[in-house]
Amino acid sequence: MYTAEILAQTLASGLLMGCIYALIAVGLCMIWGLMEIVNFAHGDMMMHSMFMAFWLWSLFGIDPLIAMPLIMVILFVTGVLVYFIIIKRVLKAPMLAQILSTFGLGIFLRYLAQFLWTPDSRMVQEPWLDGRIDIAGVFIGVPQLAASGVAIIAFILLYFFVNRTELGGALLAVSEDREAASLMGINSDKMFALGWGIGAACLGVSGAMMANFYPITPEVGLLFGLIAYVAVALGGFGSIVGAFVGGVTIGLVEALSGVLVAPAFKYVFVFGVYLAVVFIRPQGLWGRY
Amino acid sequence: MKTRKFCATVLIITLSLVLTGMPVCADNPKEIKIGAIYPMTGGAAQAGWDSRQAIEVALEIINTTKHKDLGIPLADTEGLPNFGGAKISVVFADHQGKPDIGMGEADRLISQEKVAVLTGCFHSNVTLTASQVAERKQIPFYNFESSSPRLHQRGFKWFFRSTPHDETFSAAIFGFLKYLKEKHGAKVQTVAILHEDTLYGKDSGTIENDLAIKAGYKVLAVIPYRRAATSLTAEVQRLKALNPDVLLPTCYAADAILLAKNMKDLDFNPPIVVAQGTGQIDPSFVETLGASMVEGISSRNAIGPDLMESIPKLKKANALFRERTKAAGKERDFSGPSVRCFQGMMALAEALSRAKSLSPEDIRKAIQETDLKTDQLVVPWRGIKFAPDGQNMFGDAVCVQWQGGKMVTVWPEQFATQKAIYPIPKWADRK
Amino acid sequence: MKKTQYLGLAIAGIAAVAYPHIFRLPFPHHLMIMVFIYATLGLAWNLIGGYAGQVSLGHAVYFGLGAYTSTLLLMKWGINPWLGLCAGVVVSCLVALLVGYPCFKLGGHYFAIATIAVGEMVQQSWLNWDWAGSAIGLNLPILEEGLKNFEFHSSKLPYYYLGLVMVGIALLASYAVDRSKIGYYFRAIKGDQDAARSLGISHTRYKAYAMVLSAALTSIAGTFYAQYVLFIDPDSVFPMMLSINMCLIATLGGLGTIWGPLIGAMILIPISEFTRIQMGGGGTGIDIMVYGLLIIIICLYQPRGIIGMFKLFRK
Repeated sequence: MYTAEILAQTLASGLLMGCIYALIAVGLCMIWGLMEIVNFAHGDMMMHSMFMAFWLWSLFGIDPLIAMPLIMVILFVTGVLVYFIIIKRVLKAPMLAQILSTFGLGIFLRYLAQFLWTPDSRMVQEPWLDGRIDIAGVFIGVPQLAASGVAIIAFILLYFFVNRTELGGALLAVSEDREAASLMGINSDKMFALGWGIGAACLGVSGAMMANFYPITPEVGLLFGLIAYVAVALGGFGSIVGAFVGGVTIGLVEALSGVLVAPAFKYVFVFGVYLAVVFIRPQGLWGRY
Repeated sequence: MKTRKFCATVLIITLSLVLTGMPVCADNPKEIKIGAIYPMTGGAAQAGWDSRQAIEVALEIINTTKHKDLGIPLADTEGLPNFGGAKISVVFADHQGKPDIGMGEADRLISQEKVAVLTGCFHSNVTLTASQVAERKQIPFYNFESSSPRLHQRGFKWFFRSTPHDETFSAAIFGFLKYLKEKHGAKVQTVAILHEDTLYGKDSGTIENDLAIKAGYKVLAVIPYRRAATSLTAEVQRLKALNPDVLLPTCYAADAILLAKNMKDLDFNPPIVVAQGTGQIDPSFVETLGASMVEGISSRNAIGPDLMESIPKLKKANALFRERTKAAGKERDFSGPSVRCFQGMMALAEALSRAKSLSPEDIRKAIQETDLKTDQLVVPWRGIKFAPDGQNMFGDAVCVQWQGGKMVTVWPEQFATQKAIYPIPKWADRK
Repeated sequence: MKKTQYLGLAIAGIAAVAYPHIFRLPFPHHLMIMVFIYATLGLAWNLIGGYAGQVSLGHAVYFGLGAYTSTLLLMKWGINPWLGLCAGVVVSCLVALLVGYPCFKLGGHYFAIATIAVGEMVQQSWLNWDWAGSAIGLNLPILEEGLKNFEFHSSKLPYYYLGLVMVGIALLASYAVDRSKIGYYFRAIKGDQDAARSLGISHTRYKAYAMVLSAALTSIAGTFYAQYVLFIDPDSVFPMMLSINMCLIATLGGLGTIWGPLIGAMILIPISEFTRIQMGGGGTGIDIMVYGLLIIIICLYQPRGIIGMFKLFRK
C-alpha cells in the first residue's frame, strides 16, 4: 500500500510542516536564549498576529504578505511592552512565577480574542500565496512552501544577527553574564527588551505566513505553542540551529508516524521522540548547557 | 500587622464563599425559571453562543405577542396561556466544556436559582453529569441538541430529549448512501471513517462503523484524529492511499475547514463525502472556504436551510434569529444545533403551559405527554412525542449538500429541493 | 506563639466542621468539595514543586491514573473503591518512579517540558484506548450509598467530610516533610543541587521520594474525584490545564509552606467560580480573562504567595 510516491509525499509534507514549526519556534528560541524565560504565551501571541493579518485583509483588503511588515512592527512593540510590564518584574522571581505569569498572559490573550471576535473560525480567502504545485506527483502547497522559505531565511538572519553583529554580540553577552556585560557598558534592560521585541516580531512573521493557509480561531495557538516549546527544547535551549532542527524533526516524526503507523498517535510519537532524545542527551540535540 | 493581613485573608475567603453562594437573579413570582448550561467559553463557545441566541429568540416569541403570526403554539399569546400568562425566564451558565463544572452548575441552578427545569449542555459528556444531578434531585432535564445515544439509555425518569440522536442521524447518512446507489448508480462499496477523538467523534465513528457493516459495505479504516490538530495531512494521506468510495468525516467547525484544505492540498478526491454534521454544516464552513471549495460535500442535518423557504414557519423563525444574532454581534442563520435548540425550547414551553404548575412531577408528566405534530413545529419532523425512556420518537434527519455555495436538501426525496451531485467534482475541476 | 497557633488551628477546624451546617445548600458543599480536591492537589504538588523545587507540569497524569485505576477495577472486576484507591496509589507511584527517574537528570525547563510531554502522551493515548473507555469515558455504576461503596446520593455531607479528611492527610504529609530531615534535603536540592550533592545528598533519590509521595497524594484525590462526579473521561482528569492549576494553587498560597496550597485553593476556587457564575453565562469569556489577569498579578506582586506576605511582616 505504501508506494514510493506516498513516502515522498509524506517526507515533503513533513519537511514543510517542520519548517513551519521551526518558524514559530524561532521567536521562542530568541527569548529563551537571552534570559532563560519560556514564554508560555507564545502560541497565543501568534494567534493574535494571525487575527491581525485576517482583519487587515478583511477590512482593508491587504494581503497578508504585504501586511507582514506592519504586523512585525506591532508585535515588536507588543513584545517590548510585555517585557516592561510583566517580564522585567519576574526576572528575579522563582522559575515557577515566570512560567505562570506568561501562562496567565496566554490565557488572557486567548479569551481577549474570544471576547473581541467571537469564537468563530476565520480564514483569509485567496491570498496571493495560494494553490499548490505538483512536482513529480508530490503536492506542495504554495503558502506552506513560502512559509518554509521564510523560516529558513529568518533563521539565517537571526543566526547572523546574534553571532556576527555587534548588537547581537551584546545580546549574547548579556545572556551569558549579565553583570560582566553591564561592566562593559551594555544596558541589560534595553537588551532584554530588544530580545523580546525581536522574538515577538518573529511571531508576527509566522502569524502572517500562517494566515495564508490556516483557519484562525482564538484557540489556534495552543497546540502550535506547545509544539514550539518542544521543538526548542528538543533542539536544545539556547541554540538557534537546534531550534530549527527541532522543528523540522517534529514535522517529520509527525508526518511519518501519522502516515505509516497511526494518525491518532502522531503526537504521542512526537512527544515520545522528544523524551527519548532528551533522556539520552539531556541538553537536547544542539544544546549548550 | 500580621493579624491584619490574616484577617484580610479570612475576609476575602469568606466573602468569596458567601458571594458565590448567593443567587444571581432575583426571584419573581408568576415566572418560570429554566436553567441552561452551555459551553460559553472554550473550543465550543460558538455553539454555546448560538444556543443562547436561539433560546432568547424563543423566549421573545413565547413571552410577548410581537410575533403572533408565527403560527406555532405560544406565539400568539403573552406568556403561557394555560398558566395565567406566566412568563419564562432562562438563567444561563457556562460549563467550559467540563463535566464536573456542569455538575456543579446543575446543583447550583436547582438549589439556589430554584429553576423548574434544566436544559443543556451541547457536549454529550457534560449533559451526562448534569442530567445525573437532575435525576437525583427529581427535576426534569430537557435536552435540545446533544446527540450521544447513551443519554436516553440510562433508565432515567426525568431525562427528555427532543432532538434525534446519532443513531437516527447516522441512519440518515446511510439512507442517503443507499439512495445514491439506487437512484444515481453510485459505486458505494468501500467506506472510510475519519472522526475527531472526543466523545462526539468517537460515538459517531462507532455507530457509522456498525451501520456500514450492517449495510454490507467494506470499512477500509476508522481513523480518529486529535481535535484542533495542527495539520491533517497524515490522515488525508492515509485516506488517499486507501482510496475509499465514501468518506464519512465527523468534525467540529475549525477541523472541518482544515480537513477540506488539506484534502485539496493533497488532491484527495473521494467521490462521496457525507459528514456527521456540526463542522460541515456550520455557516463558517462556506464563509471561510468559499463556494467552490465546499461544493458537493454533504452532511446529515436536522434541516436544510433551503427548507426555510418551503417551510414558512421556519423562514420566519430564521429571520428572527438573523435579527437577533446581528444585534448580538455576528449575523448568522440557524444551524443544525441551534434550530434544534429553538425547537426544543418552544416544545418545552408548550409542555410547561400544559403543566399549569411549578411542581416537578406535574412538569415531568406534562413533558411526557407532549404530542406535537408536524404543523406545530418549525422543523420537518414527524412530531415530538416521547417514548418511556424520554427520547423523542419522531425526530428525523435530512441530508444536505453544498451546491453553488448554498446548503440544499437532497434526501429524503420528499423533502429534497435539488438532485444530489454525484460524484463530487475533483479539486482540479473546480472553478 | 505556639498557643496562638493551636488556637488558630482549633478555630479553623471548628469552622471547617461547622461550615456545611451553616451553609446548607448543595452548591456551597460542592464548592468546598472542589476546594478540598484542589487543595489536596496543590499540597501534593507542593511537595515536589515547592519543597524540592522541581517544576512538574504534568501532574494530572497521577490524578487521572488514580481515578481510572480505581474506576476500572470497580467496573471490570467489581473491586471495592477503597481497595481501588490503594491500587491507584501503587500505580501512580510506579509511574512516578518510571517516568521520574530519567527526567531527574534534566534540569529546570527541560524537566518541565518533559513532564508536559508525558502528560500529553498519556492523555492522547488514553483517548484512543477502547478498553479503558477512550474518549467516551467511564460512567461509574450507581451503587447503594454508604462508606463501603464510597458513594453517597442523598446528601453531599459525607463527601464533604471525607474531603476534609483527605486534606488533613495531605496537610500531615506536608507537615512531616516540612519538619523532617527529608524536607531539609528537599530544600537543599531546591536551593543548590550541586552543593547538596557535594554534601552527600543523592539528589535523584530524594527527588524520587518527593515525586512518589506527591504522586500518591494526587492519586488519592483522583479516586475521590471519580467517586464524587461518577463520570471520568480523559479530558476531565488528564488535561494540562489541571496540572497548571495545581502549580497555580501552590504558588498563590505559598510554595514550600504547609498551609500555602490550602489557602491558595480556598481563594482561587471560589474566585474562579464566582467570576464564572457572574460573567460566564454571557459567553464573552470575560471571566477567564479576569482569571488570566489574576494569575499575572499574583506572579508579579506576590510570587511568594499569601504566606509570603505574612513572612515579610514577621521580619
